[in-house]
Amino acid sequence: MKIFKKIAIVLFIVLIGIQFVPTTYNTSSEVLETDFTKIYNAPQNIQNLLKTSCYDCHSNNTNYPWYSKIQPGAWFMEKHINEGKEELNFSAFGDYSGRRKKSKLKSIISQIKDDEMPLSSYALVHRDAKLSEKDKTMITKWLNNIRDSLQ
Amino acid sequence: MKNLKTTFGILLFTVLISTVSSCKNDTKKAETDGSMQNMEMNSENHDADMGHDNSDGHHDYENATSNEERDIAASTQKNSATSEIVDSYLQIKNALVSDSKDGAAKGASMMLMAFSNFDMSQLGEAQHKEYMEIYESAKEQAEHIVKSPIDHQREHFETMSTDVNDLITLLGTDKTLYVDYCPMKKVSWLSETKDIKNPFYGSKMMTCGNIKSQIN
Repeated sequence: MKIFKKIAIVLFIVLIGIQFVPTTYNTSSEVLETDFTKIYNAPQNIQNLLKTSCYDCHSNNTNYPWYSKIQPGAWFMEKHINEGKEELNFSAFGDYSGRRKKSKLKSIISQIKDDEMPLSSYALVHRDAKLSEKDKTMITKWLNNIRDSLQ
Repeated sequence: MKNLKTTFGILLFTVLISTVSSCKNDTKKAETDGSMQNMEMNSENHDADMGHDNSDGHHDYENATSNEERDIAASTQKNSATSEIVDSYLQIKNALVSDSKDGAAKGASMMLMAFSNFDMSQLGEAQHKEYMEIYESAKEQAEHIVKSPIDHQREHFETMSTDVNDLITLLGTDKTLYVDYCPMKKVSWLSETKDIKNPFYGSKMMTCGNIKSQIN
């Protein structure tokens, strides 16, 4: 009992302590000229879908709900966001080479079709991010058109 | 009861601490040599530098160009500088033909190594830009192939095949290669053998495809 109490106290101190470690937040109010939705003139419904299901990890602007600002939650998110942006950043899509654009479009379509993206762990917490079959058909159709136009 | 509580407490503590500390640690995938280090040139590269390398006087210089729109002149030299990269590509290809995920991952690691060994100083300015674009893409595909299940590996291999083909169009190769076309995936791959062995389908559809053209 004594040990358990001690551990609990240490744990509590640690949890409070880590709240003070600084975190960089991925936020930006700018919509860059290089933004995917801009360069391909995405219609509003596609824009909304991308922002809801993809942009939190794959753009320069993440929406942080209150609970994600508490450590270690914020760290988990930072890791996801860094990895996500490195893989694909919709905000900077215009800067990609022609080769990379084509390659990424192919991957985006494939990941959506295979239900690999959005991540199920993400969709669990963000219910509105989950893509319905209708959503998937709509967006992959639009993306395929873009892809064809780049050939 | 007391022991159980203690054990549980310690277990919970350990789990939480390791969760927290693993977040802080950089668990990002190890950056395989992204920087283009000027590794010691082997004698083969040296020869390629000296211009036309063909002491044999071979006549057949057929270039497999599936990209007519490319405005950078295709190299007709039998360039051995791309040898290591092409070898690793064929390694991945043959592994996928054999349905071997591990073989493909191994080949992809070899490719990353080959790229970091590549001497960029031999490239002209226009070539350099194109090369960097191809390198950036092929590297990304290789990194994915190292850590993916086989169907994902095959997807990335599609893009990688285009990249390596473009690299050869840009810089040439000293090997005889066949540009094979997969009508299902609508993409070409490179092979060192005349027999069609499809890397995108492996044993499921081994002989599906046809030779489009030949390099060297």
